[in-house]
Amino acid sequence: MPAWLRRHSGLVPYLFLLPGGLWLIVFFVIPLITTASVSLQEGTLATGFRLTFNFGIFPEAIARWDDQLIRSLQYGLIVTVLAMLIGYPMAYTIAFRGGRYKNILLLLVIMPFFTSFIIRTISWKFILADQGFFLGTLKDIGIVDQGFRLLATPVAVISGITYNFLPFVVLPLYVALERIDPKLIEAATDLYASRFQAFLRVTLPLSISGVFAASLLSFIPAVGDYLNAELLGSRNETMIGNVIQRLFLVNRDYPEAAALSLILMVGILVSIFLYVRLLRGQELTV
Amino acid sequence: MAAPTSLPDRRRPIGSRLRSAILPVFTGLVVAYLFLPILVMAVFGFNDIQGRFNFTWQGFTLDHWANLFGRYPALNQSLINSLIVAVISTLVATTLGTLIGLALTRYEFRGRGPLNLLIFLPIATPEIVLGASLLALFVSAAVPLGLPTIVIAHIMFNISFVVVTVRARIAGFDRALEEAAMDLGADEWTTFRKVTFPLIFPGIMAAGLLAFALSIDDFVITQFTAGQTVTFPLWVYGASRIGVPPQVNVMGTLIFLIAMVGIVLWVVLQRRDMTARPTTMDR
Amino acid sequence: MNDSNQGGRRRRNPFLAVGISLALILAACGIDPGDSAESAGAGGSAGASAGAGEPVGGGDPEGVLNFTNWPLYIDQDDDGNSPTILAFEEEFGIDVTYSEAIEDNASFFGTIQPQLDAGQDPGHDIIVMTDWMIGNMIELGYLEPIDIERDVPNFAEHAGETYLDRSYDPGNQYSVPWQSGITGIGYNPALVDEEITSMAQLFDPEFIEKYCGQIGMFSEMRDSLSFALLYNGVTPEDATIEDVEAAQEVLLEQGECVRGYYGNEYAQGLADGSLAITMAWSGDVFQLQFDDPDLQFVVPDEGAILWTDNMAIPKGAAHPNDALAMMNYVYQPEVAAQIAEWVNYITAVPGAQEIIIENADAAEAEGDTETADYLRAVAESPLVFPTDDMLSRLYSYKVLDEEEERQWNELFQEVVQG
Repeated sequence: MPAWLRRHSGLVPYLFLLPGGLWLIVFFVIPLITTASVSLQEGTLATGFRLTFNFGIFPEAIARWDDQLIRSLQYGLIVTVLAMLIGYPMAYTIAFRGGRYKNILLLLVIMPFFTSFIIRTISWKFILADQGFFLGTLKDIGIVDQGFRLLATPVAVISGITYNFLPFVVLPLYVALERIDPKLIEAATDLYASRFQAFLRVTLPLSISGVFAASLLSFIPAVGDYLNAELLGSRNETMIGNVIQRLFLVNRDYPEAAALSLILMVGILVSIFLYVRLLRGQELTV
Repeated sequence: MAAPTSLPDRRRPIGSRLRSAILPVFTGLVVAYLFLPILVMAVFGFNDIQGRFNFTWQGFTLDHWANLFGRYPALNQSLINSLIVAVISTLVATTLGTLIGLALTRYEFRGRGPLNLLIFLPIATPEIVLGASLLALFVSAAVPLGLPTIVIAHIMFNISFVVVTVRARIAGFDRALEEAAMDLGADEWTTFRKVTFPLIFPGIMAAGLLAFALSIDDFVITQFTAGQTVTFPLWVYGASRIGVPPQVNVMGTLIFLIAMVGIVLWVVLQRRDMTARPTTMDR
Repeated sequence: MNDSNQGGRRRRNPFLAVGISLALILAACGIDPGDSAESAGAGGSAGASAGAGEPVGGGDPEGVLNFTNWPLYIDQDDDGNSPTILAFEEEFGIDVTYSEAIEDNASFFGTIQPQLDAGQDPGHDIIVMTDWMIGNMIELGYLEPIDIERDVPNFAEHAGETYLDRSYDPGNQYSVPWQSGITGIGYNPALVDEEITSMAQLFDPEFIEKYCGQIGMFSEMRDSLSFALLYNGVTPEDATIEDVEAAQEVLLEQGECVRGYYGNEYAQGLADGSLAITMAWSGDVFQLQFDDPDLQFVVPDEGAILWTDNMAIPKGAAHPNDALAMMNYVYQPEVAAQIAEWVNYITAVPGAQEIIIENADAAEAEGDTETADYLRAVAESPLVFPTDDMLSRLYSYKVLDEEEERQWNELFQEVVQG
């Protein structure tokens, strides 16, 4: 390291932060400020928009779209829990039993995403079709009755979102689990802990930073998702993302769309804050 | 690395064998579940469609494989565009994000809280807002829209995902190893290169994978910042109005197969590497 | 520094407004974001349509054309090239960049709106937008006026009467049709006992009950509201806000049993049996019939919608003369036929039908029965060449001013999103 840098070693973190931080500031913060300003404007495309500091739009928007906001938070939570239930054992297996094939397995988890989302959804709609080979067979046998359907239900939407965010959960969990020294587990079992107890008291706490990261990476985007609800759901599964999409593109009601986006972000941040307090006392990421 | 047991497999009681099979079986099932739509997609690449839609099975044909890249030049170009964007944005975002991760976990500095917020917020913002406001930024700065603006946008949203993924790995890193290396005479850069980096590499790789997948599949933000350029998801979405041609299925399948081949090669190379240099760390 | 959005100027894109303010601030600090801030001042308030302004064109083509369209909306050969475009390039010596970047009216508009608002060249010389979006863009002053008599004479000569002078662009001052289509009712006789002939079968409570969960409607506000209006006996173009409120009631009642409000995903539902009866596009059902010849498409007694996607020149486009040359070129019946044979939507040139039949005969003579059969199917299908009887029952969307559009959108959003 050059001598001048060694002398100013306090600068090092700032140097590391600079490129990424600057990128985010220019290409995220500035547009975000624009969004905040837009939410406080009033007007239409033809007559122009004026900044009127219309703070009233926030309670209005919440009142109008409370169902969808709540539903989105609910779905986000369910998706996160499901993804965790499915993803944790997977990450555990890859990290501890993967051996040579660890990286391959990770790649396998990610690979479905190299195909287009539309194609995957079309395929899922084919698989879950009312009379498709899966449901059709069940109906023929008589396990479910003819009116039953999976598509255009909350089940389909939640499954779709979970499917989409599974890698987001598996990867951070894997990262956290992989660095746990198996000797620690061995030590626990040597000290007469059962396998399960060893897991509960050694592995799980050590992986908590991964759990934290994974839950954030699935909850946050899941709440704002709209494609799954649009393609797999019916009107009753409308999420706040769909509303924002429609307000923005179809109604061209930019202020309300911007306001709802900010409300969504605040809702998410509050949820995260509560979550952090829940995990207080655990070692999260530094 | 396997279940701590001293009996050879043959002699372990059935219950124990079954129990330790649960996890791998579960993983196998999940992978199968992940791949199910891919399988359907691959199969429909052989569908002998009569009209323009590819929803019901009509018959088997190899025509679409035969006429894969000649048929829709716009589709090919869109795929190339997507790959270029994904590769560049992944490399840049992973680098920038890892740097931030290193700074966050290993150094003291002021502004930690705001920085954390800055990293979370892009993930929490609806894509449509990110896209539209970014578009306005580009327009007001008179930046022409195209591949560069798409790359800029992708790097922006990828940085956050990289940081969150990489941090867990860097945080748990034992500084004692670095200190040991330096005690043995290595300078900071060599220590980083030979000790730190290899150990945090799994986290970086995982983050890179995530970023790549996010970029390849991104739709909304790309739509706003692409101008006239068309990426793969954009083309497919537009085509689905008239009918997604089976070539799209074939391409998806091909990408898959290529990735599979790449993985197999990697395994083979790794084995060779390990037998040649038994001191390589296998974690 | 004084031209911010709090001052006199009303910017039309709120994001852009603040963006420009920030850009100006940056400029004051010595960072120069380019010339757009100044040119935006000039172009921004290029008002709406009081006086369309001087039509573009009347000059020589410059040799470059950026033609942006929906995917798979022009003829293609097996090498992925468009014979029409190739022939055009050869005849006029114009280098065409054909891009399939339009996936959706609203989102495409959203992506070029900031540039149009700032008076910048959006990068497209021809865009293809659906009629209602054309109406909106005309109102916002985002399209270049054209002189069809001078620059697109083939249009007047060969276009069918139905396509001249439509309500969204009276006198064709800004656009000419590209392809049209019918929004009607599609249904699967295997799942539906009776023959469908009326809107009542989509909205009446007894019918809805019967097929609950297998009914499809469109997420496009104009389509679904127009259908409900027709059910109530109201011509869409004459609808008042009270009519629309009544239509909304009908839709809300129906909503319980509607499986989904679709963009174009209904096609898969119709194909795989999830949907028994649904709003549908003529072109889609024509394609689906190749796989399942039993599927039906019908124009109900009360009427249906004829929509049109149109070629238009966005404001500030760099090569209007080349654009006009293309517009004129595709209105020759042979060219229109060539496109129609592939795209299978409704062409604005009725004369194309004869030519397709001639081509079918020619193919037959050469022994290519597959192509001959296909071409005959295209020429004879009422979904590609609607009968007069059908045309008499087809209506256009109402052209909405901004206030109406806002009201209609709000009423409809409640139906679709709750």
